Amino acid sequence: MKVNKNKEKISNTRRGGHSSKADQIHEVLMEFGVNFVSGVPCGVLRQIIENFEVEERVLHLPANRESEAVGLAVGAYLGKRTPVVYMQNSGLFSSSNDIASLVIPYKIPILFIVSYRGCPGEDAIQHLATGQATETLIRSLGLPFLILDSKKEIKTQIRSVLEDMSRKKLPSFLLLKRGWQDEHE
Amino acid sequence: MNREKAIKTIMMSVVASESVVISTTGLISREIFERFDSDRNFYVPGSMGLASSIGLGLAVSCPKERIVVIDGDASLLMNLGSMVTIGNRHPVNLLHIVIDNGAYGSCSEEKSMSDSAHLDKLAINVGYKKTYIVENEKNLKDAILESGDGPVFVLAKIELGGRRDFKRPLKLPELKERLMKSLERDKEKNHDV
Repeated sequence: MKVNKNKEKISNTRRGGHSSKADQIHEVLMEFGVNFVSGVPCGVLRQIIENFEVEERVLHLPANRESEAVGLAVGAYLGKRTPVVYMQNSGLFSSSNDIASLVIPYKIPILFIVSYRGCPGEDAIQHLATGQATETLIRSLGLPFLILDSKKEIKTQIRSVLEDMSRKKLPSFLLLKRGWQDEHE
Repeated sequence: MNREKAIKTIMMSVVASESVVISTTGLISREIFERFDSDRNFYVPGSMGLASSIGLGLAVSCPKERIVVIDGDASLLMNLGSMVTIGNRHPVNLLHIVIDNGAYGSCSEEKSMSDSAHLDKLAINVGYKKTYIVENEKNLKDAILESGDGPVFVLAKIELGGRRDFKRPLKLPELKERLMKSLERDKEKNHDV
């Protein structure tokens, strides 16, 4: 990773700790040419967000709300950047109209990295309804998604999502469940 | 000042400067599309409220271009956090104009809350460099021409009403490609210099 020296302070006090899986995701995104990132944080994505924060090849412009992040990414794409947006699945629901009425009709390929809260076993009750509806929501918009499978090689999985996205010019989703960083599952 | 005059004043002023125009959802975009279509325009069809976010994303990605966002009062109120982000990033190449008729003009002119929002003061409080309130064409034109480095906020007060039967931009992927090609040409031009 090319670390921006001005940002070393952040990297020296990493909040999320290192995750080799997050680093692998990051490498594939850099290889693909990602150079603009916006989003709203989720604890489940902390290592991914920290990698963006310290990466000098990325213009990282955090948003106050997920819809805003969608708009920022669209603007960056028009300016010939390759954008990624990160958010919790709760934010995917609140920004779903923006994806449906702006990103899809304009055919803009944006990779959304979305934490998949509300899966079985989770005790946070506010996530359960959105958790149950997340895959249905994305499918109903006719969009592709990948739930990261810890048993398969991460880089290959993500590369195929990105290639597919470039070909179809459609927003695409990477869903990360709690514990996705674990090496052994 | 009515919507027709406000849009005409803005478009005549920005065409001369070869700015990129991002216009908000509804009648504002439809009027600009029908009367002032250009490969420098981007129309926000749905996703009401996102014009200023798209403008900011473009402004930071193309620092050599001047980006003009033509927003509405109700659409800005839907995505008010965007003003905070603009003030925080402080893009010098962004001009944010709000055409304020105090209503959801593209619906049935239901009242918005812009009359109590003091959007011009809010712009300064969150970090815009300059703010203007204008109520006639001359002041609107002067504000656009003298505004200089941004982010600049212009609140253009207009009356309700006006034509509603404009055609809609439909071939959106083509319009997107058209703008991107135009930006690419600028890049080459800038590179040559």
